[in-house]
Amino acid sequence: MKTCLLSCAISAAILVTHPSAVGAATLSVQVTDATGKPLQDAAVYAEPLSSPAFVRTKETEIEQKSRKFMPVMTIVQTGTEISFPNNDTVRHHVYSFSPARPFELKLYSGTPGTPILFDKPGTVVIGCNIHDQMVAYIRVVNTPHFGKSDQAGKVRITDLGPGKYRLKAWHYQLPPAASPVETDITITKNDMTADLVLGIGSAGSGH
Amino acid sequence: MFKSLERRIVALLLIVLLLVQVASFFVIQNAISRNGRAVIADELVVGERVFKRLLKQNAEMLTQGAQLLAKDYGFLSAIASNDDETITSALTNHGARIGASFTVMVGTDRTLRIDSAHALSEDGRRRILQLVDTAEKEGSAVGTGILDNGPFQIVVVPVKAPVVVGWVVMAFPLDQRLAADMLALSSLETSFLVRSAQGSWAASATTLAPDAIESMRAALNAQHAAQRTAIDISMGGNQYAGLLSELASDDRRTAVVVLQRSVSAAIAPYRALQMTLLILTAVGILIAALVSIVTARRITGPLRELTSTARRLGGGDYDGPIPTGGGEEIAELSNAFGVMRSGIAKREAEIHKLAYWDSLTDLPNRAQFAHRLRQTIDSARTCHILMMDLDRFKNVNDVLGQSFGDALLRSVAQRLLTHSGADAVNIARLGGDEFAILLVDGTLADAQEVALNVLKSLEIPIVLDDQAVDLGAGIGIAGYPQHGGDAESLLSRVEVAMHVAKRSGNQATVYDAATDESSQQSLSLLSDLRRAVDRNELKLYVQPKLSLGKGDVTGLEALVRWVHPERGMIFPDQFIPFSEQTGFIRVITLWMLDRAAALCSTLALEGMYPKISVNISARDLMDQDLPAKFSEILFRHKVCAASFCLEITESAIMDDPVRAQNTLESLHALGAELSIDDFGTGYSSLAYLKQLPVDELKIDKSFVMNMEHDANDAKIVRSTVDLGHNLGLRVVAEGIETEQAWALLSQMGCDSGQGYLMSRPIPANEFGAWSRRWTLNNTTRQLASSHVSAADGLSFAIEMGEDA
Repeated sequence: MKTCLLSCAISAAILVTHPSAVGAATLSVQVTDATGKPLQDAAVYAEPLSSPAFVRTKETEIEQKSRKFMPVMTIVQTGTEISFPNNDTVRHHVYSFSPARPFELKLYSGTPGTPILFDKPGTVVIGCNIHDQMVAYIRVVNTPHFGKSDQAGKVRITDLGPGKYRLKAWHYQLPPAASPVETDITITKNDMTADLVLGIGSAGSGH
Repeated sequence: MFKSLERRIVALLLIVLLLVQVASFFVIQNAISRNGRAVIADELVVGERVFKRLLKQNAEMLTQGAQLLAKDYGFLSAIASNDDETITSALTNHGARIGASFTVMVGTDRTLRIDSAHALSEDGRRRILQLVDTAEKEGSAVGTGILDNGPFQIVVVPVKAPVVVGWVVMAFPLDQRLAADMLALSSLETSFLVRSAQGSWAASATTLAPDAIESMRAALNAQHAAQRTAIDISMGGNQYAGLLSELASDDRRTAVVVLQRSVSAAIAPYRALQMTLLILTAVGILIAALVSIVTARRITGPLRELTSTARRLGGGDYDGPIPTGGGEEIAELSNAFGVMRSGIAKREAEIHKLAYWDSLTDLPNRAQFAHRLRQTIDSARTCHILMMDLDRFKNVNDVLGQSFGDALLRSVAQRLLTHSGADAVNIARLGGDEFAILLVDGTLADAQEVALNVLKSLEIPIVLDDQAVDLGAGIGIAGYPQHGGDAESLLSRVEVAMHVAKRSGNQATVYDAATDESSQQSLSLLSDLRRAVDRNELKLYVQPKLSLGKGDVTGLEALVRWVHPERGMIFPDQFIPFSEQTGFIRVITLWMLDRAAALCSTLALEGMYPKISVNISARDLMDQDLPAKFSEILFRHKVCAASFCLEITESAIMDDPVRAQNTLESLHALGAELSIDDFGTGYSSLAYLKQLPVDELKIDKSFVMNMEHDANDAKIVRSTVDLGHNLGLRVVAEGIETEQAWALLSQMGCDSGQGYLMSRPIPANEFGAWSRRWTLNNTTRQLASSHVSAADGLSFAIEMGEDA
């Protein structure tokens, strides 16, 4: 199964063009599913292969509103603290059994005192023990260069210094144990675009 | 067996009803059997559905339970601990919470972690993974499988934290509790069985009794059925219809559920219904029988009444009511019956009238008279009867005609009615010119007075058609009880008395037993007499007839004697009178003629030709065929009529002179001579005698025997001899007993004579010898007559007579 997903990733055609920016380039990624439709909420990140990444973001939040986690998909750099403000009238019991960051915020309302620190890369699935339908995914990545695809499946990753990067794309609809789709790219001064296809939605994606 | 209409109607109705009922009974029986089976089949199909539904509900419940468990935070925490021991103990603990036998955790990588209590076979593992695959696609999965040697219901639910991190598999046994639920829900016996790899069946749970499940196991072992199939098995003496369906199977084993229904239990309510029907049928037949009996009675009842009416009609009762009930047809029959009855009654009255009434005079007839007499005697009342016979009625009838005679009888009847003083019903015409009167409760003197009154009334001449007829009558009188104890003897005695009255000329005579004795004796002799002829008991005797002049034998008179086997010799005066009365005399006369002719023939052979005299009675003269019979006899014996002299009494001729004359003329024409016997005692008219073809007169012996002492008798004899000779007739004298009488008669010129002087009557066969002796002696006497006295001859003659 893993082999198959890899083959999917490899089969993704990556087209890199050279924009005219100087010093820091922007990578525009178009994410589609297996059927070619734009895929929203895909975590797309580029891990620098040559130089260590720097910490860009320190804090974010996933609010609970209308018995939903907002946003459903959050991509953060390791070391980021996420707070879980409860904007509902009901209490929530937010937990994660994910090895990357198990935690538990027992029934609370409002914003819990301390945010949760996500210091290990990986996927953290959070849920609410009271409300089964509430699910949110946190992709903790070891790079500051990341983005989340919009409705059109587009992601813009800016401020990329020249160098070699490993471009990865992950979506929570991928099978739980599936690895992200990845491809190595080399950033120059120019802006680039890339197309990533995830094995979701096709007949084979259900594995 | 069903000859009676009533029984036939009832039997027909009942048989038809029975046939219908029996037919419907069997149709219903059949329908019940078929329906019962169909209902069971339906029940089984429904039961199967119920069972599936039950399984499904069970599965849903179990699924819910498993889902709750899978979402239990503690359980999730234990899973997340990633510690095998913790995980298996959590599985055991949480599985026990909802009663699962097996609780298995299957990871997203298909690794199995099982609770600590159980081991799982390879087949079970495979089945679980199949279901996990289904659950992965469909969110959850439910199925059956064979784990731990029994069928289990297996539930697979995902473990979400909050995304799927694995599946919890829980297995619940299809056990006794479920079978019991099934039985309670559907009334179907429910069994779970597993077929082992070796092909033998074992029950994991059942509602059946152990021996029953043994029977089923045996039956299934023989049947090799594992798919959905109907199975009919007899268990514990009961027939069960069943449905087998597969629950689960793996490579080696198959688990099935068998739903069963007792056939007899299923059709038990129908049986009860059928019993009710049977009772209804019996009651129906009973009612129908009663109704048909009543209906039949309504038909046959009037018929029976008509039958008894008909019987009463047969018995002569014409007055009883005729039943009218019972509907139109019966009423019609009743009407016809009524018409028939009046018809019969009318005709019977007519017949009665013909039988009991004299149509000529409208008086009761002999039968009714006898009946009344019997009734009177039966009622023990004294009574007298008068019997009357008219004198000379025969003459009147012959001379003036039959219709005149009838009118005369009517007039006599009228006179009896007017003058006897007796009730009309007690005056009867017995027949011919005989009448009778019954006088009840009177004395003999009263009866005699009535008789005198009647005789007196008849003295007045009866005038009819300008003709005056003078009637006389003889009346006999007899009384009950002094003259007879019963009607028959009384009637015969009054008749005797009447005949006595007529003979004696005493017009009213009371019965006298003395006068009747001889006649009674005679009657008793009659039957003997009939036999006598057949048995040859009659003997022919003869008395010689001699010429008084020369003493020659000129002829003989044939006489009859009856040698009775018990009474010995019977003389003619003891049986000839009643033979004449009864007519039997004709037989005797013919016998006499026959014997006489035979004698004549015999004597002729001996050279003797005496003229043979035979007596002919009045009855014989009435027989028109006598001449023919006589000539037949003559022919048979080859003798001529001239050898015979037929002797007739005056009274015989005078009874019916015309017919007598006819017969006499015929006989005379044959050549026979005729003689008037006992001449001088009757009332014959000389004018009439003159006309008859007579050849001889025979002077009655009373005159002859007295003439020696009585001058008048001597004169009569002399006159008669002269009369006879003057008319050209021979004269014969009877009863010559003395020599003097002979001499006297010879002197008077009497031609010939007979008597004891010459000979008593002797048997016919001795005549020849006697005749020869007599002739010899006569010749001797005549030769000696010149010197022998007459007295010697007389003494000789007497000797001869005594000799005979």
